[in-house]
Amino acid sequence: MNFDEKTGSKAEIWAIGGGKGGTGKTFLVSRLAITLAAQNKRVIVVDTDFGGANIHSFFGIKQAPKTINNFFEKKEPLENLLMETGIENLQVIVGDYRSINSGSLNVAMKSRLFRHIGNLSADYILLDLGGGTGNDTIDALLLADRMIVVAVPEITSVENLYQFIKSTFFRKLKHVLGEHGLRDTVKEIWGDRKKYGIKNVAEMLQYIKKTHAAVDAILDRELADIAFYVVLNKVRNSMEIKEGFSIRSICIKHFGVDTRYAGYIEYDIQFWKNLSLIRDLSKMNVSQSLKKDVLCIAENIIRGDQMRMTGIKNG
Amino acid sequence: MAETKDNNINTNGYKKYYDVLEIKTDASFQEIKNAYWHLKKLYSSEAPVLIPVLDEISEEDRLEILNRIEDAYTHLKEYYKVEEKEKAASTRQWAVTHNVPEFAVYDGNALKVTREVLCVDLKEIALFTGVPLGHLKNIESERLDLLPPQGYVKVFLRKYAEYLALDPQKVTADYMALFDRQKKK
Repeated sequence: MNFDEKTGSKAEIWAIGGGKGGTGKTFLVSRLAITLAAQNKRVIVVDTDFGGANIHSFFGIKQAPKTINNFFEKKEPLENLLMETGIENLQVIVGDYRSINSGSLNVAMKSRLFRHIGNLSADYILLDLGGGTGNDTIDALLLADRMIVVAVPEITSVENLYQFIKSTFFRKLKHVLGEHGLRDTVKEIWGDRKKYGIKNVAEMLQYIKKTHAAVDAILDRELADIAFYVVLNKVRNSMEIKEGFSIRSICIKHFGVDTRYAGYIEYDIQFWKNLSLIRDLSKMNVSQSLKKDVLCIAENIIRGDQMRMTGIKNG
Repeated sequence: MAETKDNNINTNGYKKYYDVLEIKTDASFQEIKNAYWHLKKLYSSEAPVLIPVLDEISEEDRLEILNRIEDAYTHLKEYYKVEEKEKAASTRQWAVTHNVPEFAVYDGNALKVTREVLCVDLKEIALFTGVPLGHLKNIESERLDLLPPQGYVKVFLRKYAEYLALDPQKVTADYMALFDRQKKK
């Protein structure tokens, strides 16, 4: 694997989200960051989980003199808020974990934040988005170069993942059409979908393209690079590994959305035992197998690639 | 070489079949088979991952998807049959380029060495062939006493050999001879 494929000075932004809490988003962010940093890439992790910031725990930061709140309240530049993690090449901007009225940021504040994030100097910037399918989360996801969604192989989690992917695709569609004076078209058509015989997002897209020929090419272009990277966490057996292929298939065939199965992380009983005993998560030992799983995920996301039904290709 | 094959696939319209099976055009036949069976099972059952979208996806849609999958597989199977000779040659070539050693007799150790040269994990074989991991381990370590009846072992061996692109007949014959030898002892 060649980690030097990425060129240019602008950082590549990876956003990690997912419908449900407890799927391991923050955990994945921390492991991906450590993996990329170990490949000599400069990595910055930004905790943008405004309602439940906890990335600091994963890096053993007990006291953060400056959090993302300084950016909002004191207008401090983001560069000043970077904290060392003790891991080479890896810095974090800690979320506002002490706030008691979190989640009350307005749109202008957030768009300012994301503009500034894009200007940070790094190779990779990882955003921990937190759970939920709120518009804020989705907009943040859409701003990223790589959209990563995490689920666990449980029906509730998978259901939320579909919702998340659907909502995100929907919102992108709205943005694109909004720029061409068709802001409410999506809502109207979806509202009357029974009348038009539309059952799903893919059919709606086809319908819009047919009835609004002017935006046909625009939609093709704008939606072409929308791709979701699915990661399955806490996978316990081969059936659950294969579930990733099933989820991908449904997203492709049913929603008509380019979805890639970036990889899975095996359930590690030792890890969960340690988690309940340890005070500093950054000092926790992780198994070789877990490292291998995360490395595979990172490689796939970098290359825009995904898991295959067989692994012989690497020979 | 790979490029010309890809061009062929694009010009003769096979690309769409690969898309239906959600695989890349450089897929091996084994991968095509894996994908086919996986999708067929998914859309002909009430798999848990389908449940959230069942209200949006009609029985008709599902049948249509299944038809497309079946159609794609049929075409690709034909395509690969035509290329079989070429493929056999390329498999041998593949073995040479990957430094896969050739064994006079395929016993547990020979299988293990081949697998390791190819960097294939046992778990992966278990995942895609459906042979339980424990049995695969016992095959490699020749714990014949722990293996199920010989009919099963034959099937396991064939699947294992196919996965590593070895000759399934030779591997099965060689390995099953171990049972006879053990009996004589």
